Amino acid sequence: MEALRNAFDFSDSPRTDLMVVGILAALLVAFPLVPYSSFAMATMIQFLMFSIYGMGWNTIGGYGGQVDLGKAQYVGIGAYTTAVMLIRWDVPFWVSMPVGMGLAVGWSFVIGYPLFKLKGHYFAIATIATSLVLKDLFEVWDFVGAARGLHISPVKYPPPDFLRLIFREDIYYYYLLLAFFFVGILVINWFRHSRLGFQLRAIRDNEDVAKSLGINVHWAKIKTYALATAFVSAVGSFHAVYIKNIEPEDTMSLDISVLIALMAMLGGAGSLWGPIIGAGILIPLKSYLKEWLGAKAGLIGIDLILYALIIMLVSAVEPKGIWGLLDRLRRGRGR
Amino acid sequence: MALLEVQNLTKDFGGLRANDQISFQVQEGELVGLIGPNGAGKTTLFHCISGHHPVTSGRILFSGEDITGLEAHEVARRGLARTFQVYAATGDLTVQEYVMVGAFMRTGSRAKARAKAQWILGELGLKDRAGRLLTEIPVPAQKLVTMAMAVATEPRMLLLDEVAAGLNPQEVEGVKETIRHIHRDLGVTIILIEHVMALVMDVSHRVIVLDAGRKIAEGLPQEIASDPMVIKAYLGERYGQTEA
Repeated sequence: MEALRNAFDFSDSPRTDLMVVGILAALLVAFPLVPYSSFAMATMIQFLMFSIYGMGWNTIGGYGGQVDLGKAQYVGIGAYTTAVMLIRWDVPFWVSMPVGMGLAVGWSFVIGYPLFKLKGHYFAIATIATSLVLKDLFEVWDFVGAARGLHISPVKYPPPDFLRLIFREDIYYYYLLLAFFFVGILVINWFRHSRLGFQLRAIRDNEDVAKSLGINVHWAKIKTYALATAFVSAVGSFHAVYIKNIEPEDTMSLDISVLIALMAMLGGAGSLWGPIIGAGILIPLKSYLKEWLGAKAGLIGIDLILYALIIMLVSAVEPKGIWGLLDRLRRGRGR
Repeated sequence: MALLEVQNLTKDFGGLRANDQISFQVQEGELVGLIGPNGAGKTTLFHCISGHHPVTSGRILFSGEDITGLEAHEVARRGLARTFQVYAATGDLTVQEYVMVGAFMRTGSRAKARAKAQWILGELGLKDRAGRLLTEIPVPAQKLVTMAMAVATEPRMLLLDEVAAGLNPQEVEGVKETIRHIHRDLGVTIILIEHVMALVMDVSHRVIVLDAGRKIAEGLPQEIASDPMVIKAYLGERYGQTEA
């Protein structure tokens, strides 16, 4: 009961923030009502997907300060679980998504235990390694299609199929994902009000002090990592039915892990709205650069240069990202 | 039975012996001072008792239970809390949120943790700081907050590490009152490391002196102040003449 109350309790945010958020939420709901291009729709769906990835990352990476660069492996676990179960056994999405989350969380415990014995840069590098190893395994594993990947044929399932989530129009995917997005915000709002959320923030601040306050630092990190994993895996499952072509490279590459972390850092690691702000800036930018600049001028990879610049800017100007900058301005004015 | 019993505690860092066969007892309800020159091993002793450092040899009994080798959070959950000398807060938690983290050790409910934090902040005179970031408030208030965080875990015993360092005499008076309040009114047994003699000699029932990792003296504050070994090792020849 209290958990539910905490999830809906936004009273610690200033009223102006909540008004802005409310207006943006209304705009998101209303977006498909205006005429849109398929490119704009695809970008919006990407924005929502990466917002939720970022929310997940933000629990352990932002509130907990553990820079995790291996989230893509859980995109892969979610996507592959849903795709394999659908193709081989015709299991609907609503079953395969929780199964995928369960597998991903299980895997996160297995690797989280040794991972969180490491600190700082060593932790970050180890997360990259675990993700790449899993990707390599999937590339040679025939059961999941190896490097060819898997293909969900929409012809087999006459759309709209609400059980398997096979639709012809993107608008269905959009609204479904928007619902996930709002649920995600509520879960994060619960998390940051929860005992675990407080403990993670104390851990980020100083682990020795956190321990002296009775916090089992290792276990608290593992639990939060599992929560982050559940977010990523759920959207990974969505990725499978939405994209329909599932390859190791598209789901588990380092690019995706980096992008997830980067967005949250740009928007503001450790704040409720940070990952959404980050995704709102980076995803349209990335889509635009890829679509026009990249193809036209042969500037493939310009997005990578941009990421590097952003990382440098964030760490030099304001480690707490755009949200931190706004917060600092507000506090400065308030005094 | 003593609340805390340290038996022949030894701690080596490589070839350096930071604590050498230290033994002492603290009874429930006592307020014990721990003094000694810099590098005497006082903070190391706290780290060993609180489980932040593994000990090389020796035993630590808390309330009769052997807590040697327990992890720091397990020691804390048994009711043995501590503060830290230098605490560079970088996070974005407010004063009240920091104290809530302590309170969350005993409850999973945010409402209860918040109510407890508010009560403790009131008790320690920090009510008007509750909404500020820890980094924004002056050092004396920060020291009080670290004590409030520890008190929020409802400890039976509290280890205070130099809570009066760098404070002016008026601020020391404030800290002295707070320590007495925690000890007397909240019923917490206290060991405090302190260089400010005006504080430690005034509030302590008993004083333990360390030098070069060894316990060189233990006794009532006035005995310690006139102990030739302590004067030689730590207090200096002038201490007895000017203050005692």
